[in-house]
Amino acid sequence: MNWTEIMNFSRGLLLHVSMIIFVAGMSYRLVRVLLLGWQRDRATNKGSKLKGVIVNYLKGLLVLPFIPWVRRTFRHNELTFIAGGLFHLSLFVVLAFGTAHIMVWKSLWGFGWKSLPTPVLAFFSSVGIISMIVLLINRLTHPVLKLLTRLPVWINWLVVFLPMITGFIMARHLWFRYEVIFSLHLISVSLLLIWIPLGRISHFLFYFFSKTIHGAQAGKRAVTP
Amino acid sequence: MKSQKTRSAINTYLKETGGWVASQLEACTRCGICAEACHFYQALSNPEYAPIWKLEPLRRVYEQRFTVAGKLKLALGLEKKLTDSDLEHWSKIVYEACTVCNKCAHVCPMGIQLGPLIHEVRAGMAAAGVVPADLAEATEKQKTIGSPLGLSDEMWRERIDWITDEWEVEIPVDKAGAESLLVFTSIEIMKFPDNLAAVARILNRAGENWTVSSTGREVVNFGYFEADEELTRLFLYRVFKAAEELGVRKIIISECGHAYEAFRWEAPNMMKVPKGVEIVHISEYIHHLWKTGRIKLKEGAFDGETITFHDSCKIQRRGGIIKQPRELLGVLAPKSFREMTPNREQSMCCGGGGGVISIKEADSNRYAVFEMKLEQLREVQAGAVCMVCSNCRLQFVDSLAHFNFPVKVHGLAELVSRALV
Amino acid sequence: MKEKTIYEHLREKGLSRRDFMKLCGTIAGMMGLEFVPPVKAPGKIPGPGPEAVVAQALTTRPKLPIIWLEFQDCAGCSEAISRSSSPLLSNLVLNDLAIEYHETLMAAAGFQAEKAKEECLKKYFGKYVLVVEGSPTLADDGIYCTVAGKSNLELLKEAAAGAAAIIATGNCACFGGIPAARPNPTGAVGVTDLIKDKPVVNIPGCPAIPEVTTGTILHFLILGELPKTDHLKRPLPFYGNTVHDHCLRRPFYEAGKFAESFDDEGAKKGYCLYKLGCKGPTTYNACAGLKWERGLSYPVQSGHPCLGCSEPHFWDGGGFYQGQSAPILRLDKNSTATLVGAGLAAGAALAGLNAVKKSRARKAIKTAASEKVSSGTGEEKKEG
Repeated sequence: MNWTEIMNFSRGLLLHVSMIIFVAGMSYRLVRVLLLGWQRDRATNKGSKLKGVIVNYLKGLLVLPFIPWVRRTFRHNELTFIAGGLFHLSLFVVLAFGTAHIMVWKSLWGFGWKSLPTPVLAFFSSVGIISMIVLLINRLTHPVLKLLTRLPVWINWLVVFLPMITGFIMARHLWFRYEVIFSLHLISVSLLLIWIPLGRISHFLFYFFSKTIHGAQAGKRAVTP
Repeated sequence: MKSQKTRSAINTYLKETGGWVASQLEACTRCGICAEACHFYQALSNPEYAPIWKLEPLRRVYEQRFTVAGKLKLALGLEKKLTDSDLEHWSKIVYEACTVCNKCAHVCPMGIQLGPLIHEVRAGMAAAGVVPADLAEATEKQKTIGSPLGLSDEMWRERIDWITDEWEVEIPVDKAGAESLLVFTSIEIMKFPDNLAAVARILNRAGENWTVSSTGREVVNFGYFEADEELTRLFLYRVFKAAEELGVRKIIISECGHAYEAFRWEAPNMMKVPKGVEIVHISEYIHHLWKTGRIKLKEGAFDGETITFHDSCKIQRRGGIIKQPRELLGVLAPKSFREMTPNREQSMCCGGGGGVISIKEADSNRYAVFEMKLEQLREVQAGAVCMVCSNCRLQFVDSLAHFNFPVKVHGLAELVSRALV
Repeated sequence: MKEKTIYEHLREKGLSRRDFMKLCGTIAGMMGLEFVPPVKAPGKIPGPGPEAVVAQALTTRPKLPIIWLEFQDCAGCSEAISRSSSPLLSNLVLNDLAIEYHETLMAAAGFQAEKAKEECLKKYFGKYVLVVEGSPTLADDGIYCTVAGKSNLELLKEAAAGAAAIIATGNCACFGGIPAARPNPTGAVGVTDLIKDKPVVNIPGCPAIPEVTTGTILHFLILGELPKTDHLKRPLPFYGNTVHDHCLRRPFYEAGKFAESFDDEGAKKGYCLYKLGCKGPTTYNACAGLKWERGLSYPVQSGHPCLGCSEPHFWDGGGFYQGQSAPILRLDKNSTATLVGAGLAAGAALAGLNAVKKSRARKAIKTAASEKVSSGTGEEKKEG
């Protein structure tokens, strides 16, 4: 087994299997939650649920700390807010506009779009990696996070960090032979895909549940979410 | 070995875990931001007071019973099953260090409704009977005597008569054919009779056809504090039954936050509620009377020393009655009304709600939280503070006395009644 | 009788000493001798200069006999050699260094050819270099490639037995190549999969760059050993860098400027071909340095992405024009639907179990509540 073969294996079968696990696992998880049953809220509305939901999503999209009423909370969680926000931002930028990633989307969906200039991508990916390290340190030191963080959460961090760091090294052609780091990147991505249906990274899906529920409840009661 | 206690708690969690509970538990990323929203955590820096940690028993049961990943974690020894001692441990956390004020939900990046979920955790504790003794005792009193303060029917009548005499205000009791039923708390009748008299005076002045009921006479719902579903229903039922018997069209909830939450938002989802009966909170109703011109207020009646407004979690953040008291205060004290920060939906809870004030062991928690409230009062140099919840008011009166802090505490109705023209 | 040295042989053909020394310099360069700098800095290199090393070897060594076997191949590597950029060099190798047996190039045919080979194998036993082009096949005892009634396995073993070194040229001989592409019906493998007891060097490529093949032969001739190789037994002087490393379009890659199609503005401006499926970053070969046709051009230069032909299983590594980062196997609509369906079914099954658990819990709570009622506290129930 040489690295070229490992690369072909991880680009091929491994990625394929992990995508299978990801797709099937996420639909499994979604339906498992959905089928636990939902109750209709019979209390009459005071305000508009829809308005609450819209405002709540806007609140999520806007940078939170600039909303005055979150400031106090922000002041006590600067790291989590800034690093968490930057991490997500850079993750989305690199995933959506990285040259190599666009080719993945193109192969999956049949269409692609323009990528960002390499220096911009380099900037965002370094920001993402630094944010992840900051978040790790924060998690290691903050008393509440120490209490909340169990093994699965550490695994979450690791399986997100590995693709980021290997991707960065690969895109910059540093230290490793390209096929080696390419394989490592794909292996870590596969690991991530397999882990997502098991761990809390699936919040990207359930985010829309809790965000909608909160917005609707706030809107119903005529308060700003 | 699982005891009957734990089994009851687990059964309750299983029953309550619908899609909305599960999807929100799944959405949590363990970021810990909610901790800083919690006044108990802010005041005491105990990591166990982080709101999300308060959901731990519910989360464990959900994951271990309903999910494969949870079972796996259990098998690998990464997690433990819920035990009696866990219940006792978390009982202290969810009853003594949480007012279910739901501020955490407003800072959660995921928007997880932590307040209602903590209520579910309490439900399990209530089913297991792992409730702080003081709270359980008050609940028992409400169940048997009809009032958590142990106010019997006779005493209640005496008090009503006394208020009628003392404040020279007419309070119709069990008046058939009345338009609206006023339900108030034993706290008001025992500790803030002026508030009750004020409400009576306002309603009389507005020409409202109203009454109080001798059977549905307690609006406070200790079953709801405990989160015991059966008892919550029972206490709600007493009022609804009285309302039906009297044939009223409207139930006016007096200055009580949890009661408003239970009647306005929870009752329709728990039981059959009488049709066509509107639930209003007294503060929004006073605002309505003033807006429609049924009462007139003397403008600037309380200008002078700075007066501020305390937002109650259940009436403002969870009830949406935010503008109304401010508009009224804008008339009563246009010059000297000042807002504390944070305010409105983001206000900091008084620290005594959710039954916390009735638990002796929680006193230190409650005072620690109140110190932050004092800081806010100090910032605006408040001479007086106004609020629309007797529970908050009790906490303010008690804690201000404890800290010997010279600020006057008013109910909004009381201020309005004094400014009636 | 003592065998004639190469130098003697060349002098007989009328080559002057001066020309001979020039040739030695060229050869030293073509060999890609690692210690030979492009420009020799006077006084910096200790010992004899590279051309001196070459000259020394050529004046003392006899001709090198070469047996060139072809198995499952297209003779493309031989074609490449015969039309290589440096006629001088191929001429030299083919004529002057002596090739004793080459099925495509030699004039002899049939029994004569076979006889010549047999004699050669015997005569030069332990001295000749075996060059293999095309992949040996394993399936059904190698009957899919037979020459003169002998299976390719037999032929290979027979020829390998007396070889001083073996050079596998072309991707087929090295790694199985195109015959080994899925589903590999003939069971094609690389020479190194079969021959373990001889020094083997791989010169992969489709075809192998002729200068690399001849250079490697010369290396053996002059230094008496095969060049240093990487983990895939490819000579490091030629396979030490990727096509991407020395690519003339590399600056565009670094700047993030890519041709999106073969006829767009970017393609005309010579932008990087990465998005058109270039495998340059993972392909180790000397294309970008040596180039083809007298250094005229190479695929990437002339506008075509690198196919990765010097890498094992390049044929199965995803589409040639599909970006390298794209997954090789893709979920189509049907299989996605099936997977989602399977997930939903599993979820629904668990949800069913959960529903049972929930209704049990509800029943247990009801029983507990009714016990409460019978003990006389169910006010609501009694009254209502």
